[in-house]
Amino acid sequence: MESDQADDAELLRAHIAGDPLAFARLYDRYDRPCFQFIRRLLGPAQADAAEDLHQETWISISKSAADFDPHKAAFAAWLFTIARHKVMDHFRRQKVVPLLSGDDDAAMSVPDPGQTPLDQVMSRELAERVVAAVDALPLEQRGTFVMFAHVGLSLEEIAQATGVAVETAKSRLRYARTRLRAALASERSAHV
Amino acid sequence: MSDTPDDDIGPDPIDAAYAQAETLLADDAARAARRARVLAAVAAAPAPPEVAPVAGLPSRRDGGWRRGGWLAAACVAGLCLFVGIRLYRPIVPEPTAPASAPSSGVPVSITLPPPAKPPAPPNGAETVSAPHVPVTVTAKTAPAPEETDALAAPRDAAPMNVPAAPPLNVAPTYQRPAPLIAPPAEQPAPPPPPQATTEITVTAEKRESSAAMKARGYAADAATADERQASRASGALGGAAPASPVVAAPGQFRAAGIAKPDPGASLRAAAAAGRTADVQALLDEGVPVDAADANGDTALMKSVQADHPAAAAALRRHGANPDRKNHAGESARDMAAGKRDAALGEAIGTAP
Repeated sequence: MESDQADDAELLRAHIAGDPLAFARLYDRYDRPCFQFIRRLLGPAQADAAEDLHQETWISISKSAADFDPHKAAFAAWLFTIARHKVMDHFRRQKVVPLLSGDDDAAMSVPDPGQTPLDQVMSRELAERVVAAVDALPLEQRGTFVMFAHVGLSLEEIAQATGVAVETAKSRLRYARTRLRAALASERSAHV
Repeated sequence: MSDTPDDDIGPDPIDAAYAQAETLLADDAARAARRARVLAAVAAAPAPPEVAPVAGLPSRRDGGWRRGGWLAAACVAGLCLFVGIRLYRPIVPEPTAPASAPSSGVPVSITLPPPAKPPAPPNGAETVSAPHVPVTVTAKTAPAPEETDALAAPRDAAPMNVPAAPPLNVAPTYQRPAPLIAPPAEQPAPPPPPQATTEITVTAEKRESSAAMKARGYAADAATADERQASRASGALGGAAPASPVVAAPGQFRAAGIAKPDPGASLRAAAAAGRTADVQALLDEGVPVDAADANGDTALMKSVQADHPAAAAALRRHGANPDRKNHAGESARDMAAGKRDAALGEAIGTAP
């Protein structure tokens, strides 16, 4: 992580200095998780906007590259902060009220079903079910879970990117996992 | 990437399942298209080093600025020519009268004969001949004359005997190898001034001597005239000043700090903005088609990056090299191949 951070900052500096390939390398490093983060935050109903918001995010990264301070935050945290703001701005423009995690306590009452079939075999159908279950999570839990499980950010970096305390980020992650397990377990029982 | 120990939040199978699901559902083709689009948008977005010109408004890198730069240079050159003609208009020289009274100082004699009949330089005298303005300078160590005669001389009288205000520490004689224009042999040489006098003899039709100016009360102008004379004499005797003040030497404007405009930058900016007409006009003016910027990017690469096939085609018609590589090792052909744009590929020559 440390070397990645150093490389990210160096690539960004090279981009500022005019290196045409540095930004492409940085983009390739975070393209997939960034796009999927935006896509998951948007949810299925707003998925069409993912491409545009993803592009806006990287244009903002390019324009604001000089503002990035590697001593204050990791590049990934900075990137996902910008991406998250783009999604929130989109929701405001579209007057979309996403499902927020106000029912976190209710989620905690769902019993943990334990191992699911997804733990062993992953087919395309199962993958779609997992993604659909993630899409159904409340917005903040969804973002926290994607950043942690897929992007690989630490809880501190997630807290920094979402502007909350580390404990809050930890709670959201725990709730998200519990909800996912419950959703997938209910699907399994429905199919059996 | 998470290296921070999270006490009760460790790895969970559901995390791995989700990551695996995203990987399984990833669409590589869509990702490649997205990559090309995003990077092109980032490259086309205005950035501090390379500001994209706004359509309709001339920028400093635009052709208007370039033409303005040449206009300014032409104005300066014209002004220099005008001043030079006014100050150095030559007339037929007449013999210089000896100075009436000796004084201390260094005598300097400057004679400006007409271009048609320049006088032969005397022995021990330096002759610097520029096109149309031969200059003969003689320096001797002798006391300077009094100003009385010069003050009494009329404005248009030639010659005028005036003192040199600051004494010049120059060698008594300095011989240049050969004049650019050999003066005719039949022209009589001006009589050498007496050894015991200091004089500055300037033969000019409408030039006003410092002494005459002082007589009329123009103290500041007189001082400037003296400085000009001293500077001119010093330059003619091997100093830093050019031999001919009228004709600008090559590189003189650059030495004077007048920035030379970069036509290649205008071409690249026009190509990046897709202004094909401007690209065509610049190429017709003779701007080098493969001029590269600090990164080695050419106008053709800029047009490809910004996805402007018409501009790329115009550049190719003028011989732009699609295989020339920038400092990152990428050529315009490589960039076009990554775009997967049929029109662009056709313009560059990558299309089958």
